Amino acid sequence: MSRVLSLRDVTVTARLGGVSVDVLRRVSLELDQGEVLGIVGESGAGKSLLGRLIARQLPPGFDVTSGALDFQGKDLVSQSERDTRQLLGRKIAYIPQEPSVALDPVRTIGWQFGRHLARLGVDRSSRRAKMVRSLEEVGLHHASAVLDRYAHQLSGGECQRVLIAMAFASEPALLIADEPTTALDVTTQSTIVALLRQMQAAHGTSVIFVTHDLRLARQICNKVLVLYAGDPVERGPAVSLFAAPTHPYTRALLAANPNVTGPRVKLAPLPGTMPGLKSLAGLSGCRFASRCSVADEACRIAPPKWRAVGADHAVTCSSACAFESAHISSAPLPDARVASGEPILRVEMLGKTFAAAFGRRPTVALEPLSFTVAPGEIVGIVGESGSGKSTLARLLVGLETPSSGTICIDDVDVTAHPHRTGELRRNTMQMVFQDPQSALNPRRSVADLVTQAMEVQPRTADRASKAAALLAIIGLAQELGTRFPFQLSGGQRQRVNIARALCNAPRILVADEIVSGLDVSVQAQLLNLLLQLRDSTNLAVVLISHDLSVVRYLCDRVMVLHRGHLVESGTVDRVFGQPSSNYTRALLDACPPDPPVEALTETQPGETEWT
Amino acid sequence: MSEDILVRPAIETPADAPLAVPARGPKLPLEGWIGAILVATLVLVALLAPWIAPAPPNDMDLLALLQWPSWSGEPPLHLMGTDHLGRDILSRLMWGARIACVVAFLAALGAAIFGTILGVIAGTMGGRVDWVISRMVELWMSFPPVVLSLLLMVALGTGVGNVIFAIVLVDWTRFCRVVRSEVLVIRTQNYVAAAQLMGFGHLRIMWREVMPGVMPTLITLMAMEMGIAVRVEAVLSFVGMSVAADVATWGQMIADARANMTEMPWAMLAPVLAIVVTVIGFNLLGDGLRRRLDPRLLARGDTT
Amino acid sequence: MKRMTGILRLVVPRLLSVALMMFLVSVLVFAALRLLPIDPIGAALPPGATEAERQLIMKEFGLDRPIVEQYVMWASNLTQGRLGMSINLRTDVGAPLAAAIPATLELVMAALAVGITLGVGGGLALFAVRGTAMEPLGNVVTSILASIPDFVWAIFGILSMGVWWRALPFIGRIDSGLVVHEVTGFMLIDTLVAGQWDSFANALLHLVLPATALGLAFAPMVTRILRSSLLTVILEDFIHFARLRGVSEREVLLKHALRNAALPTLSLIGVQAGFMFGGTLLVEAIFGWPGLGSLMVTAARGGDMPMIQGAALVYCLGVLLINLIVDMASLALNPRLRKS
Repeated sequence: MSRVLSLRDVTVTARLGGVSVDVLRRVSLELDQGEVLGIVGESGAGKSLLGRLIARQLPPGFDVTSGALDFQGKDLVSQSERDTRQLLGRKIAYIPQEPSVALDPVRTIGWQFGRHLARLGVDRSSRRAKMVRSLEEVGLHHASAVLDRYAHQLSGGECQRVLIAMAFASEPALLIADEPTTALDVTTQSTIVALLRQMQAAHGTSVIFVTHDLRLARQICNKVLVLYAGDPVERGPAVSLFAAPTHPYTRALLAANPNVTGPRVKLAPLPGTMPGLKSLAGLSGCRFASRCSVADEACRIAPPKWRAVGADHAVTCSSACAFESAHISSAPLPDARVASGEPILRVEMLGKTFAAAFGRRPTVALEPLSFTVAPGEIVGIVGESGSGKSTLARLLVGLETPSSGTICIDDVDVTAHPHRTGELRRNTMQMVFQDPQSALNPRRSVADLVTQAMEVQPRTADRASKAAALLAIIGLAQELGTRFPFQLSGGQRQRVNIARALCNAPRILVADEIVSGLDVSVQAQLLNLLLQLRDSTNLAVVLISHDLSVVRYLCDRVMVLHRGHLVESGTVDRVFGQPSSNYTRALLDACPPDPPVEALTETQPGETEWT
Repeated sequence: MSEDILVRPAIETPADAPLAVPARGPKLPLEGWIGAILVATLVLVALLAPWIAPAPPNDMDLLALLQWPSWSGEPPLHLMGTDHLGRDILSRLMWGARIACVVAFLAALGAAIFGTILGVIAGTMGGRVDWVISRMVELWMSFPPVVLSLLLMVALGTGVGNVIFAIVLVDWTRFCRVVRSEVLVIRTQNYVAAAQLMGFGHLRIMWREVMPGVMPTLITLMAMEMGIAVRVEAVLSFVGMSVAADVATWGQMIADARANMTEMPWAMLAPVLAIVVTVIGFNLLGDGLRRRLDPRLLARGDTT
Repeated sequence: MKRMTGILRLVVPRLLSVALMMFLVSVLVFAALRLLPIDPIGAALPPGATEAERQLIMKEFGLDRPIVEQYVMWASNLTQGRLGMSINLRTDVGAPLAAAIPATLELVMAALAVGITLGVGGGLALFAVRGTAMEPLGNVVTSILASIPDFVWAIFGILSMGVWWRALPFIGRIDSGLVVHEVTGFMLIDTLVAGQWDSFANALLHLVLPATALGLAFAPMVTRILRSSLLTVILEDFIHFARLRGVSEREVLLKHALRNAALPTLSLIGVQAGFMFGGTLLVEAIFGWPGLGSLMVTAARGGDMPMIQGAALVYCLGVLLINLIVDMASLALNPRLRKS
């Protein structure tokens, strides 16, 4: 087994506004031939940077200040740029995160692939044949047609396959896959992951798989390295790392991930967020200390060191502290609620067809469906892109008019006379939008935003106290009230989003993909917030999501949509436990398997046995 | 719930924000300041012309025709010389500044108001209204602007008011197009939908959500338009279709001086320089404003 | 075959759109100048004309019929190539227009050549010095250059190269002594085809100053947009990914960045070309260039309505055709615009 890649105590420093920050600190890893190493971390942890480091494509201003980086025995850091370029695309291949924008939009696929092959030395006459073979190997069967197309004419999954084909065309020794499936649907994700494993095995390539998805890492990696704010915190074989996660951060990460199967356990997210780049400069000790439940003064000063906890399994910690005793509380979630009381919302045969326009045929976005929502219920709507779930959300709140069917609130039909019933609808149902960046007016302060609904009401004196109350409900510090959206993190912006919707105390919250794109711990915080709101104010929620684990955690009932059709509905336990529809089953199968829950709840590792 | 896991209010520092946009970036960049100073000088000269001009602009000193600039000697001193009718060039320059200012500001304002109103209507209402307005803009833009303004002056006759009117009628399309596309982009933002969900009417949404987003572009465009207006007025005067023949404008001065270009080039160069410096001033100001206010450029770090 | 129908499906609607626009433009041109308070035949009447004589002239020009009928008459005349009688020149409007068009076209094309070369060169140069100390200087210089209108360049050109240094001619298209056998009206082509090298050289020299004046007025805009597009494109993901594949920086720039940055640059060049076509008035007047601009200026000063109408129509047609060409070129270069 030859060593393909080795990093020893590599530190990458960046100069940001006159200050030097160690964006990656003393990272070590080893990769042998044929292995898959997962680099796991939340956004801002530095995992993409690590990928770029290995490919020697660090952004300007970022330099390797210490440590050694060897590829197949040769030092990569001191190598000339020309030699590095010789390696890239040949022995070291790269697969990016967003496949659709990774290819030149004005050149055909065939042109770009052809240039790539030309670089690899394939002569002109055999290029087309090789390209067709490569594309067929990755499952694109109309290979010839694909070569004549442009990137925007292919789907995300197809683009990713092309990129995989290009990557493996040179029989690389090392493949760096930077979140290759994050931008894709769940079912597409599982096929791409399977494809990667297949190609990797067939070509004997070593893979570095960067991801934020722990379950995915567990599914396909041999070894795992967990990063936090540029520090490596734990590394080891995937099996033992997930069976006995030791570092408090790893355990917290696992505990913040809702499961798709098994008992429902309350998520225990860490408070706060990962320190951003700029605040790293002042942290000489363990960067996790501020969120660690067993940290002491020594942790904040002394830099963390590696400590072995098993065969090839190690964690970093500043002091030989009793991190083993850090435990994550795990109360089981109460059972799903059964609807009680009269439904607030009654939807009957609601459907939407978009009319033909300028050569476009009429598209059925949503086939007629019916459901109800009772006070305090949390109803989930699950589907992939194109399933019609966003259309449904917009229909509910009135941003679209239905083509058929009715929506009744307290038995009042709000679709028949939208103007007259507008106020009732607005006071009963409000929406929280998906993209927090575009959902908040960048020119308004936070306090202004959360009380925006009060603008039509005459008195202004109440706004300040209302703003304060809302901020407290959603758990944001009062001083954030004067800030502007661009000064907030993604999670904070989403909370502002929720607070705004709650201003007039609606009875139903329509939450459209509100946690997608957020880090796991932030996601967990928001989900718990929703549960808390439900418990304290009997708020009902219609949660739209593509993420099955989130839906399972939060919802009492669920509806599954596929291409505009309602394929299944029922209680969460029933639908997830015994799905009756093939599509639901396919969705569930596409999810990476959950790590065993017991791994988190034991206080002493090694004390338990499980399979 | 006994343990409210999240209510440790997140007192995260703003440094955690992933967006790299600086708070309120650097103040106006250098070129913006240069432009602002030039424009301010122009306005000042224009306002004070009646008091600081050495001689009335139409006064003909028949003893000093086409005289080179003289800085010493007996009064009346002609610091920039005289033109072919003996009129003091410096004074005419200053009085010309008045016309330039009036035309620049009023024409830019008029085109901005007219174009913005139509652009906002087209962008917000969409559908057929948008289609009609867009076709109108397209039709308008099939006419070369210089030709169109000339035609309008032929139709309307001479006079400062008509010049302003002509420029407004020609250049409103520029504003309409840009404002319309900005409005379309802003309308896709979810915060506009959120405002709708709160029951705000169209007007209120347009005013409080959409317009503030359009303002930076609008301001930049207005600064540019002022430069364009000055240039158009000069072109029209040169052709003889601007203001009445006895009013001093820079374009008129150039046209007058052409015949005697070789003998007294300064009579032509002075107004030319005045125009060039004024347009440079407006353009630099507009550029500076654009760099300051365009968030896309800020994100790119292109604040040089 | 499939490609042909694909191309047709893109071209035909645009051609129809141009036709529709021309129709609307013709209506506007006709209506605007008829309905405006200019006396259409004021210049044609001798002073002291009687009412009877006036009526006679009006009948001669067909001005006594209802307005719609006048339009139809006018439009049908148009399609047969008769644009009416110029009041000032007392000849058919068509002939002077036909003679003037090639003159202006030749000038505009030469100006585009100059402007695009300088503009693209400047844009690439500014892009090359990005991040260095030269960049802000380059930006300010470009801003200043962009503020100098074409007639100012013309005047500077004449004063420096024509009067003080006597290096270049600045009146007309060719020296009056030289004879040219006119075929197309494009002096360069005609002289080249006929083998008249002297005349060719002379015509070329005459073209330098006016074309440079126009070109210099338009080059800074091209510089700006090329630089700006390049700066945007170079940050795109696909560029980053190309580097990760080991593509050399040179290839990244030439084969990927430039192609993508060309799109908005081309749009701008097209728009400016349309403006330039209609904006040669001043430069033609200054250089005595016998093109559409000169005709237009004379017609406007003299209130010669038929000539004004004719010239306006030609201008609009020119702008629409230029837009069409640019549209087609954009489609060819940017696959995302083609709906599949």
